[in-house]
Amino acid sequence: MKIVVAFKWAANPQEATVAADGTVDVGRATLGISEYDPQAFDEGRRLADATGAELVGLSVGGPAATSSMARKAALSRGLDSLVTVTDPSLDDAAATRTGAVLAAAVAQIGDVDLVLTGDASVDLGVQLVPSVMAGLLGWPAVSQVTALSGTPGDLRIERNQEGGTQVLLASGPVVVSIAADAVEPRIPGMKDILGAGRKQTTELDYAALSVEPLVAYAVVGRARPELKARQGKVIDGADPAAAAAEVVAALRATHVL
Amino acid sequence: MTEIWILVAANPAIDNLVSRGRELGGQLVAVVAGDRSCAEAIAASGVDRVVWLGEPGATPVEARAAAVADLVAEAAPRVVLAASHPAERVLAGALAGRLGAPALTMVSSVRLEADAVIVTHATFGGVAEETVRVEGPVVIVDECGSVGTGLPVPIEEVTATAPPTLTVVETRMSSTTRVDLGKARRVVAVGRGLARREDLALVEELARALDAEVACSRPLAEGLGWLSRDRYIGVTGQHVHPDLYVAVGISGQLQHVVGCRDASTVVVVNCDAKAPYFGECDYGIVGDLAQVVPALTAALA
Repeated sequence: MKIVVAFKWAANPQEATVAADGTVDVGRATLGISEYDPQAFDEGRRLADATGAELVGLSVGGPAATSSMARKAALSRGLDSLVTVTDPSLDDAAATRTGAVLAAAVAQIGDVDLVLTGDASVDLGVQLVPSVMAGLLGWPAVSQVTALSGTPGDLRIERNQEGGTQVLLASGPVVVSIAADAVEPRIPGMKDILGAGRKQTTELDYAALSVEPLVAYAVVGRARPELKARQGKVIDGADPAAAAAEVVAALRATHVL
Repeated sequence: MTEIWILVAANPAIDNLVSRGRELGGQLVAVVAGDRSCAEAIAASGVDRVVWLGEPGATPVEARAAAVADLVAEAAPRVVLAASHPAERVLAGALAGRLGAPALTMVSSVRLEADAVIVTHATFGGVAEETVRVEGPVVIVDECGSVGTGLPVPIEEVTATAPPTLTVVETRMSSTTRVDLGKARRVVAVGRGLARREDLALVEELARALDAEVACSRPLAEGLGWLSRDRYIGVTGQHVHPDLYVAVGISGQLQHVVGCRDASTVVVVNCDAKAPYFGECDYGIVGDLAQVVPALTAALA
């Protein structure tokens, strides 16, 4: 019995630079485990300990996703082992491609009853990869999950939904996206970091996974999104009453108020 | 005739998708995974056909993603639209996987050519924009809009067998009423700069003086839990476009700003003069929010 944590080794787009022609350069941005994924690691470890399952990390991406820094960062977060699928063409791959490769890798890992993910990647933020993966595995996907109990194959899932919460029972394999507020993510300690070096990483051959070809599409244009022109009037609030009066007067003068 | 399909899990507010489909031309077909009341609302919202999977019973609607994907794949439309809600995303992703089709979000324009679909959309959380030419079906996840109106069309019921591996055992409705920030004309949002939960009262007073809704950045709703999740604005939260947006103690991280970039006028209050939000505002006050916010409230009296 295995639980897979599918995570992304990603750049924070806050640190990306966008050229006038719309080309995004993340070359100088810090890479890390995508901001919303650590909760999935922690929830996976907890569930694996409670049920005796093996916790396997899975990451798909460009060559950086299997760098020694990426491996250590993942393996120090409680995984028993790590599986990576890397290829230059998978760098910044679109959601359908990434989801399809993840599904193929989960099938290859085998004996998996549960895949955990974060609810969005910090870089692309598309929020579709878990459902693409689930669709191709033929499993249901549940998002916004705040609590898990029971064992994979007989799993109690609590999730947020519009206007309240819902409890679901999964009697088969399922892809679960953990809401960012489900658990306070644990920060790996020295022992975790030292132990990471002794854990195994398996690199799957992307070509051998034979992921179906996708509908052909090409990027035919790029641009920097047009931002609204702003007044940009910033004033010192050393005298709060005067600053507030000035801003309120300006809002009234421009009929915003 | 070109068919445009709309995927509906359980939320009938799709008028934005209907307008998008109408701009493209062709027949609009909605496939509904939710209950009959949802199918009925959709049937009267301006679409040409409604295909309904029957009562979901104890099956969560998104567990019907495979059945929805089967139906849509058989019809082979060139464009499929879905609203950006969690359950609709599950349907959209499963279909994109089935079709091997690109799934695009934060879309600003869609155009049909003889042999391709041309889509312009934001990428990398909104820092850049790209236009793609897709030679095949494309799945588009878009802002939903409101419940539309139109002449009711008949509901075509099909039998869908979902895998019985996922069942709803309990639903708890929250006692607090849900807010729809998408329609708010004025919003006061607060972020990490708020040192103490008690100071929320200052922000609420300002919102009252402005007749505005209170909103927040991600850490205050998820993590601290000082405000409810439906008040969180950002990439994975609400997207708003008010006339006036007052951001208090929010530095202006991209993940937040993407959710409110369309605001007509932006006022920023922050103690850090280097906060990136000051570069994207109409009016900014550099100062302690505990002093500046009550001063703003007083100035409005």
